[in-house]
Amino acid sequence: MRKSIVAALVAGMSLTLAACGGGTATTTPAPGGADTTAAAPADAGTLTVWVDETRIDAFTELGADFQATSGVSLDLVQKPTGDIKTDFIAQAPTGEGPDLIVTAHDATGDLVSNGVVAPVELGNVIDGLSDASKAAFTWDGQLYGVPYAIENIGLVRNNALVQDTPATFDELVTQGKGAGTQFPIVIQQGDGGDAYHLYPLQTSFGAPVFTSSNGEYTTELGMEGPEGQAFATYLRKLADEGALNANIGGDQAKQAFLDGQSPYIVTGPWWTSDFVDAGLDITVLPIPSAGGQPSAPFLGVQGVYLSSHSENALLANQFLDYMTSEDAQTKLYELGGRTPANTAAAEAIDDPIIAGFAEAGADGEPMPAIPEMAAVWNFWGATEVSIINGQAADPAAAWQEMNNNIKAAF
Amino acid sequence: MSTVAKIELDNANDTRLRGVRWWKEVGWKHLFAIAMIAYCVFPILYVLSAALNPGGTLTGSTRLFTAVSLQNFTELFTNTNFPRWILNSFIVSTVTAVGTVIMGAAAAYAFSRFRFVGRRGGLTALLIIQMFPQMLAFIAIFLLLLTLRDIYPFLGLESLFGLIAVYLGGALGANTFLMYGFFNTIPAELDEAAKIDGATHAQIFWGMIMRLVTPILAVVGLLSFVGTYGEFILARIVLARPENYTLAVGLYVWGSDERNAPWGLFAAGAVVAAVPIILLFMYLQKYIVSGLTAGGVKG
Amino acid sequence: MSTDTQPPEAPPTSTSAPQLSHARDLSRPGFYVKLVLMMLVNAFGLYGIMAAFGQEQWVILAVLVVTLVVADYVYFSKRSIPAKYLMPGLVFLLVYQIYVMANTAVVAFTNYGDGHNDLKGPAITQILKTSDRRLDGTPTYPVTVVDVNGSLGFAVVEDDEVLVGTQEDPLEPVTGAVESGGRVTQVPGASVLPLAEIQQRQNEVLDLRVSVSDDPDDGWLRTDNGTMAYQARSVLRYDEAADTFTAENGTVYTADPAQGLYVAPDGTSLSPGWRVFVGTDNFTRMFTDSRLQGPFLSILLWTFAFAILSVLTTFALGLLLAVVFNDERVKGRRFYRAMFILPYAFPGFLAALVWKGMLNQNFGIINQTLLNGATINWLGDGTLAKLSILGVNLWLGFPYMFLICTGALQSIPGELTEAGIMDGAGPWRRFWNLTLPLLMVSVAPLLIASFAFNFNNFSLIYMLTGGGPNYPGAPLIIGETDILISMVYSVAFESGVRQFGLASALSILIFVVVGFISWLGFRQTRKLEEII
Repeated sequence: MRKSIVAALVAGMSLTLAACGGGTATTTPAPGGADTTAAAPADAGTLTVWVDETRIDAFTELGADFQATSGVSLDLVQKPTGDIKTDFIAQAPTGEGPDLIVTAHDATGDLVSNGVVAPVELGNVIDGLSDASKAAFTWDGQLYGVPYAIENIGLVRNNALVQDTPATFDELVTQGKGAGTQFPIVIQQGDGGDAYHLYPLQTSFGAPVFTSSNGEYTTELGMEGPEGQAFATYLRKLADEGALNANIGGDQAKQAFLDGQSPYIVTGPWWTSDFVDAGLDITVLPIPSAGGQPSAPFLGVQGVYLSSHSENALLANQFLDYMTSEDAQTKLYELGGRTPANTAAAEAIDDPIIAGFAEAGADGEPMPAIPEMAAVWNFWGATEVSIINGQAADPAAAWQEMNNNIKAAF
Repeated sequence: MSTVAKIELDNANDTRLRGVRWWKEVGWKHLFAIAMIAYCVFPILYVLSAALNPGGTLTGSTRLFTAVSLQNFTELFTNTNFPRWILNSFIVSTVTAVGTVIMGAAAAYAFSRFRFVGRRGGLTALLIIQMFPQMLAFIAIFLLLLTLRDIYPFLGLESLFGLIAVYLGGALGANTFLMYGFFNTIPAELDEAAKIDGATHAQIFWGMIMRLVTPILAVVGLLSFVGTYGEFILARIVLARPENYTLAVGLYVWGSDERNAPWGLFAAGAVVAAVPIILLFMYLQKYIVSGLTAGGVKG
Repeated sequence: MSTDTQPPEAPPTSTSAPQLSHARDLSRPGFYVKLVLMMLVNAFGLYGIMAAFGQEQWVILAVLVVTLVVADYVYFSKRSIPAKYLMPGLVFLLVYQIYVMANTAVVAFTNYGDGHNDLKGPAITQILKTSDRRLDGTPTYPVTVVDVNGSLGFAVVEDDEVLVGTQEDPLEPVTGAVESGGRVTQVPGASVLPLAEIQQRQNEVLDLRVSVSDDPDDGWLRTDNGTMAYQARSVLRYDEAADTFTAENGTVYTADPAQGLYVAPDGTSLSPGWRVFVGTDNFTRMFTDSRLQGPFLSILLWTFAFAILSVLTTFALGLLLAVVFNDERVKGRRFYRAMFILPYAFPGFLAALVWKGMLNQNFGIINQTLLNGATINWLGDGTLAKLSILGVNLWLGFPYMFLICTGALQSIPGELTEAGIMDGAGPWRRFWNLTLPLLMVSVAPLLIASFAFNFNNFSLIYMLTGGGPNYPGAPLIIGETDILISMVYSVAFESGVRQFGLASALSILIFVVVGFISWLGFRQTRKLEEII
């Protein structure tokens, strides 16, 4: 018996090696990149695309259109939103990954540092895409992937409760308090904080998270100094006035607005259709400035990345080429309801809600895509929560400590 | 004291106790049960409320059941892969549960009835292996199934049987101990007697022991079924396509996008998914508690 | 322990395999069942061996051969009776669990993680790929892919002139070619590839580089999609013999096998790196990271408290329910039991989300409705958050304990209880002296397993509190409800860069701790077994 266990153990161990060996064999092309072993596809070919639940229907239709023009079909594989990046990084080296993935631009840093995405060079067709959307997919001066939709948060107003929105955030809070509702405004937070939804207020104090140069973020923090501390102090003031509450998470904020318990909510286009379906008359506006400068939300850009392990890179590039077109982006807008990255397609939109979000994001910058951003989000949100709930006695000092911790984590 | 005990024994089968004694011995158990049910059901009311609300949030409101409609359930069975997921989950969970029960019972039998070198160490090892961190399992399993696919395509990625095989890797685990303990309580004289009658070890195992341990087989089968039914971390690695998903993976996918999550569908799916578990338990109960009634009635 | 009851028979201390002859086997139907099953197993194994041979998967082939030989020996020999019962489960265990363990153990000695995701070969390929860049300010050309005497080439139009070149020959003007709308449609002495053929030969087309002129600084034409070509040049040059990359400004990046990176003298490196073995670095880092020393002790204590209390509370409630409703005088107990396992029938991650909402300080139903508008900070206060976690874990975990206790109770012979009653023992004494010890024999190992599970119950902590409330201003995002395993995640993935190697090493360290404690506990249960 003992012998057979030992034998089986040995077997198990060698299986490990087998699997590792298998991975090696399939993923080591000769240096120089010439990999000509792939068999010629019989048909025009198939591109495997990972896409999440909310976007798969739109890409199914787009894929049908693309097949009609090129003969190349899309094989769409639905993946959970949060798993697309991590699974792709883990699986691409085995050669089992997809040709293309559809995800948000803030994955760029991770994808590039793991060497799993290929740079994209489409020539002049990208001139039709907005600068901000291209910047979002640019890393070290190279474009990785094609952006197709931009989303950002704005101020959503319940027109049944208030009609005219003042120019500053302080006046807005005063107005909201007079509206006779439970909250003057709801901005979702939660246990871990939500720096994303507070960022427009922060930028209106002139305290961006990182400084920029040449349209790309540097890793120099931009929120140190008096501007950031002024914002930290302002957060406490908002909390004292009842405009901010760390216990209001996404669910609570949405429900409060749906129930007419707040005249305003700071949110993005993902919930407006629920508001409209519930019979609310809403208007989307830019978020009024709190600190005197324009409030600039983060832009989140959806796009398609090309795998560096794709055996169908040429076909995939043809699809990316097609993706940049006004037709394709208009179609995706119609199916997905987000501002297109293609400027001509964006200008043609007459939906007041989407146009409202586009206006709210006019000064916006793409969310930073550096891998270290996860650490920044954690410290940032946690500190803001501790300021809002009063755990941090001195907001300015807590803010300074946060900056130090972020720098230490880099 | 001993007279009271005797009366108790006499009344063991008498369900028509009355008055204070009924309250003292049985009645309070009903109150206790009701309190426990409230505790169990309370959070689930949220889920039910969200399931019946066509456009709401999961935890946004404390006012439950403000809107009641079966829209989510209709949607679930007409426009989604949900029915397919149920089927997949049933296949995977049933086969895994049967496999786990048979292999676990066989191992428990060996540990309980035979003495061999490495028996004690083997038992300990089985328990401790289960504690190994599974953090990187998602990568390891992917690589393994990728390789296996070249040899046995039906054990590879995107295969329900591939997933079942992964789950059967855990067949010898904590549950084996539950059975082992139970097997030990079956007197060895029974084995000896059967052997004298000329039965082989296989006949003793399949024909006699397996019948005597039915309650624990039902419990282990149920535990394995439920465990597999709710597992999504490995399943989502093996089954990447929506038509292959199990229920748990499908629900996880719906619930994982915090902004766009279809909470109504998600909640409705969870409610529907819970029903088979409850039904299965109701069905298995008679096997689980049969041992007790048999022993209790006997004078 | 009442001594006058008849304890159940202890397991036999030795069982000799019955010596039977094959002649007797042949008369049994079971023998034929075995024969058929073994034929199937052998067919399955032989098929795999042939397939592995065909795929040149030698290791798998060896594993299959060994397994098959062992299986045939075990099932056709008279001597290895226990192995006959253990082998099926062990095979699955070895393939699917031991493999995962081995894999994790190997990773713990590497720098696998973000930035070191793959082997060296792919890293070089990727560096070359990203360094081949379009020259600033150069135009793009509508391109036609042509076949010139068997070698692929590009045809483009520049200044109304058609230029054709191949991998070997730089672009040269060609006369007699036809163009329409800036795109070449015919080239004398060459055939134009239609779209379908370009798609079919996509890798050749992608790899094609046509020099723009004899001057290498002008770079080359390439196309990514078969319809548009651009002028590109590599900003890095790879020297295979020296294993270095040289940038245009002369910086040399040398391969550093210790880090898995190409590093320049000034410390900058090229991305991506590759996976290398780093020895025991990952194991020692936990002990050298000074930021961990502050909260480590309190996290360790809470981890033990959480795991032990979780087991005790869930077991106590589960056992209580199992015993109380093991009473046939209670009408409707079948329904009650079904209700008790409701928490078990819902997905755990859903339950955690719901509980989180219910415990919300201002909007949760517990404060708002049950406690009539109280503002108890269930998840925001350290002590309350710990209590909340235990409470939620009780809800999640007691049905499991209820099930196993109900099952295990059935093994306790009725005569024993009756004997206790005759003996004059009250229900409470009977429970403590008879039922519980007998129950513990089969349930104790499961309690140990449950302890180990909760010790590493990352998902509950993560879903419910995320480890919070955080220690304000701490240099790591660590909170009062963090347990060791969630701290490992904060450390290994803290900066958004996932360090699988480090995470593996740390979780193996935790495994050693839990495994050792469990082993001690397990030795105690053996004593328990011997007493009874």
